[in-house]
Amino acid sequence: MTTTDTGARRRSGDVRPVITDLIDAATVEAIAAEAWVALVGEDEVLVPLPGELPVDIVSSWVDVVGPWTGSVVLTTARSTAEELSRALLRDTAPAVLDDEDVADAFGEIANVVGGNVKAALPGPSALSLPQVGNAPLVRNPADVCRLDLLWRGEPVAISVQGALPPLPGTTPTRKNEVS
Amino acid sequence: MKILIADDSRVMRQIVIRTLRQAGYDDHDIVEAEDGADALAKVSSEQPDLVLSDWNMPNMTGIECLQAMRASGSVVPFGFVTSEGSPEMREKAADAGALFLIAKPFTEDTFKEHLDGVIA
Repeated sequence: MTTTDTGARRRSGDVRPVITDLIDAATVEAIAAEAWVALVGEDEVLVPLPGELPVDIVSSWVDVVGPWTGSVVLTTARSTAEELSRALLRDTAPAVLDDEDVADAFGEIANVVGGNVKAALPGPSALSLPQVGNAPLVRNPADVCRLDLLWRGEPVAISVQGALPPLPGTTPTRKNEVS
Repeated sequence: MKILIADDSRVMRQIVIRTLRQAGYDDHDIVEAEDGADALAKVSSEQPDLVLSDWNMPNMTGIECLQAMRASGSVVPFGFVTSEGSPEMREKAADAGALFLIAKPFTEDTFKEHLDGVIA
């Protein structure tokens, strides 16, 4: 008996979930909104409107390693990251914030958002310590859930992005992934 | 009573201290530790009555600190304050002997819910 190799088994073995299969933008937005109210302030809201990020930006992120592997990345203007840090520190904020204070505070927001995103994903997964600097590159445009928000009128982007490149033979968008 | 707060983020330690005060626990001595190893050392040197600890920290994680405490015979009440609140993490925390796990982000009400009865 002969069988025809349709590639189905090979493809099914290659299936790797992308983030949009696992979490939607509304869930990430709800997680971020809760983190903002608890950490930044009771009246602090994130408005789901895109804004143009300036040239001088900074990112903070945590990595998730598990059935889905990637990063939860916050990106904003350096000046907005400083403002966020002051909001977190409230009356304990020093007159002049140094880079370490900003890295600590902005990193902690990524840690809280990332930890809750991780909890919403299939496990078991491990969460890294937060990092601050230039954001990890987007390796697979189909494996990204991105939110563009405004805080106090300033743009804040949240990107839940896979760490792995697309599998060979897959097309860049899921819509086109059919055989 | 004396409360040891372990978190590698100075900002988060400040937020935990602030939330304790907002929740009405404002008449206690606070000791800070910047990672699990520091916390373990201060459990011996400072003799706290309660440890509130982050989970993910450099040098020694919160759960490693708790396990080391229990292995050495310490029965100091221990609770996690961590961004990881999944059922799996809660189970690991309970298995290691943690009294509770407060997930970040938290409010003063979350603190009251978990700490009433623990903090005198």
